[in-house]
Amino acid sequence: MIRWLLLVAALAAFPAQAQFKFDLNRAIDAVKSLGRASMEIDEKQEIEIGRDLAARLLGAAPLVNNAGLQRYVNNVGRWLASQTGRPELPWRFGVLDAPQVNAFAVPGGTIFVTRGLLQRMRSEAELAGVLAHEIAHVVKKHHLKAIQKSAQAELAGEALSLAMKDSSSEARGKLVRFGTEMYSRGLDKSDEMEADRLGVVIAARGGYDAYGLPAVLQTLQAMNPEDSALALMFKTHPAPAERLQALSEKMQPTLDAYAGQPSVMERFRQAVQTK
Amino acid sequence: MKAILILLFLPLLAWAEPATVIRATELKKEPATDAVTVAELRENTHVDALERRGGWTRVTAGAAEGWVKMLALRYGTPGTQGETGLSQIFNVARTGSSGTQVTTGVRGLEAEQIANAQPNAAELGKMQAYAATPDAAASFAAQAKLEARSVEEPQ
Repeated sequence: MIRWLLLVAALAAFPAQAQFKFDLNRAIDAVKSLGRASMEIDEKQEIEIGRDLAARLLGAAPLVNNAGLQRYVNNVGRWLASQTGRPELPWRFGVLDAPQVNAFAVPGGTIFVTRGLLQRMRSEAELAGVLAHEIAHVVKKHHLKAIQKSAQAELAGEALSLAMKDSSSEARGKLVRFGTEMYSRGLDKSDEMEADRLGVVIAARGGYDAYGLPAVLQTLQAMNPEDSALALMFKTHPAPAERLQALSEKMQPTLDAYAGQPSVMERFRQAVQTK
Repeated sequence: MKAILILLFLPLLAWAEPATVIRATELKKEPATDAVTVAELRENTHVDALERRGGWTRVTAGAAEGWVKMLALRYGTPGTQGETGLSQIFNVARTGSSGTQVTTGVRGLEAEQIANAQPNAAELGKMQAYAATPDAAASFAAQAKLEARSVEEPQ
């Protein structure tokens, strides 16, 4: 309560007409000195921030101009998302028109895979493995928590909650910047390993051959590590060999129990080849 | 000359990649643990991977052919560097599309390009339009005989 009063006092120091464009840094400093507020981003806000981040990634690379392919990937992804603890999110999936080999999870349920990665896959089970890994990041809120952590270091809770109310605010811009940085810096290694394990589980729950994700990791491992198409993916993820090793240590029983499920090669080939 | 021959044969193969066995492994006649053992492969044996089925990969090891545990393989060899061009052609053969031009373009998803990207609301709108409903996705799954399973989350 006292914090709020002080924040209001800090804001009152600015002219009324400039309230929406207030000098954020000064407001932050004012509130920061009050100590760190605990800040929770609720689901509605998560979805909003996610839309901003997704729009940013789409600014770096647009969607592949192929409605059939985009719908196909949405069907695979939505089916997998329905097998998780967050089936009600507005799940969206997109193939980005970029040669780089990568995939991205955005808070709130938006998942991207690049054309460069898709073209190196051999079956729907492999696509499912990659999408399931990304879905796992959203289910476990890995990016959201990382954004929250940077935001807590930089923005006080009250300034942040004000920012959430105004999508054109400077604070919102800052939040989205933290989020964007996440995609160049990467998550904690433990988050990636957890997403691998849960990804295998989600693909198996969807009825797919559970070896889809390991198969893609083997493909990545076989590529020339100096290949520029891999630069960002390799910078932000543990090495494929290490991820494969971890999966074989921790997930062998699950992998083997669901290895006989369909890998759906023909439908995948048709969807990816139709241009 | 050797390279030309390889290129000629590539389209005939569904998939064939050099790999190494990372631990002593049995080469099995069929993709199953209880299948007949064709050969004992020592650690670091070089093989060519041909196809994958579940957790097994069919390989040739010298004159022998059979199945090994997929996770016993590591792809590529120290000599793999610089074979990117080859894998590009591979990619064309495999997907039938024009493959990827692996160059640093103006647009794309390098760290710097992501950092400097401006929001694209039009593409975001398009993406919403491609979304699948849970019901549509469920019938799509059923078409491929995919069945939902109850699988425990790992600890």
